[in-house]
Amino acid sequence: MPSAPIVSAKGLIKRYGDLEVVKGIDFEVPPARCTGLLGPNGAGKSTTMRMIMGLSTLTDGTLDVFGAPIQALSRDNKARIGLVPQESNLDPDISVVENLELYGRYFALALPTIRERVPRLLDFMQLTEKSDAPVNTLSGGMKRRLIIARALINDPELIILDEPTTGLDPQARVLIWKQLLDLKRQGRALLLTTHYMDEAQQLCDNIVVIDEGTILDEGTPQELIARHVKSHVIEVRKPHLAKSPPERWDQEDIGETVLYFVHQTDELIADLPSNAIYMQRQANLEDVFLRITGRTLREN
Amino acid sequence: MQTRPLGMKHILAVTYRQYIVWRKMIWPAMVTNVGNPVLFLFAFGFGLGRFIDTMDGIDYMSFIVPGMIAYAAMFAASFETTIGSFTRYFLLKNWDAVLATPVSLRELLMGEILWASCKAMISALSVLIVGWLWGGVPSPGGALLALPIIFLSAVCFSCVGLAATAYASGYEFFSYFFTFWVTPMFVFCGVFFEISRFPEAVQVIAWLLPMTHIIAIIRPLCTGLPLDMTMASLHTAYLIGLSIAAFIFAHRKMRQKLFD
Repeated sequence: MPSAPIVSAKGLIKRYGDLEVVKGIDFEVPPARCTGLLGPNGAGKSTTMRMIMGLSTLTDGTLDVFGAPIQALSRDNKARIGLVPQESNLDPDISVVENLELYGRYFALALPTIRERVPRLLDFMQLTEKSDAPVNTLSGGMKRRLIIARALINDPELIILDEPTTGLDPQARVLIWKQLLDLKRQGRALLLTTHYMDEAQQLCDNIVVIDEGTILDEGTPQELIARHVKSHVIEVRKPHLAKSPPERWDQEDIGETVLYFVHQTDELIADLPSNAIYMQRQANLEDVFLRITGRTLREN
Repeated sequence: MQTRPLGMKHILAVTYRQYIVWRKMIWPAMVTNVGNPVLFLFAFGFGLGRFIDTMDGIDYMSFIVPGMIAYAAMFAASFETTIGSFTRYFLLKNWDAVLATPVSLRELLMGEILWASCKAMISALSVLIVGWLWGGVPSPGGALLALPIIFLSAVCFSCVGLAATAYASGYEFFSYFFTFWVTPMFVFCGVFFEISRFPEAVQVIAWLLPMTHIIAIIRPLCTGLPLDMTMASLHTAYLIGLSIAAFIFAHRKMRQKLFD
């Protein structure tokens, strides 16, 4: 990446009393790219995002945003960030347009600028028809789109998205993905957390997998897949498994089925008994994620 | 998180947001903040007024109007910065939305105070106008001079309300706030009668509460009685001091809650 990173963290540490939730992580968010911060609940993702927004102080390490230490985040630099929070904090009693206009005022934008941007953002997020509707009459998907539109009112160079499509139907997710990719093409940096691995694979150029406050691995989706699993997965239903001794295959028992990770499918299929029930698919980020963060359920 | 110079536009943006939402619900808001004190004024003016001709040498209606003005301002400012602000902070998560923008916590709190004070002024002015039309304001010119003091009082009550909001962990806390802060000021601070009728211990408590100081300034102004400027300055200094102390407490406490 030739241009300077928008966010650069080195040895970032956050402690609450004796509890260390972020344990010295290094990562960068380059411009015009989508960086994914993936990890199970309680991994330290939200704390990291809060530190970038200047809402949480760092215990140790350095965190530069727009080339300046976060401790000195200026008003001008704060105005270059757009936040899409996980929880809806729109104003429920006023209209879609009023929500956007008011948000523009918090950035001290000139009124003509706000008036010019609002219809464009409504069009971008396909909310024009709902312009005058009170927010509490919108569906979950529309509210999400409005929150994204709101985060764009200041024309941000860095957009932080905290689980932007959680709880949405597939149509709404696809639209949001399309628009997020468009924002990236416009040159904006995206920092995304999500629990949907298909979303991360669709959107992210670079992924940082974090758990218990440390980075487990980092790379493009393809790199991560190549590093941790093989290109294909064959899911074999128990009890008719591969005949060779278990050491021969890279496999994982997930209960009812066993996953075999292979580069070439033919050899494994030849190793299966004739009555085996199996399904063959491409390895994906979900396999990587579960492999490196484990399958144990996390209680937040 | 460092201290930035205050941005007037940012403070006003917060105030403007409350105004826009208030405009949508203007009627219920008016009933609480205007209807309520005006009803009190009628009830006490007609009811009690029949039995009491004068209080402290003043015609009872004229005595009670400044008290009701102060009460109206206190109630509106206190309600807005407790139930109102706490709802925005706790339920609507509006403060999270605002703090994700360049608005600082200090500006957010000031915007809340400015709005609550404006709302309190609407209540206080309504009572003043009704009282004046009813012949309960012998010195309209003095009443106009009282307006800045009423605004300062509203700011003071707003700061204390925000301090309570910063301290509260749930809505339950506000029943203590209303019972031990708002109601005592309604009954012990000279809204309905001279506090000299109370035992001395109650009078001491009354003088600790801001309401007594406010009424001590605005009652002479509205009724045209002489006002001791030295005492008036002390009362004003008390209101300013309490506002600043409450604001600093609210800001510190809220910063601990919102930022980690």
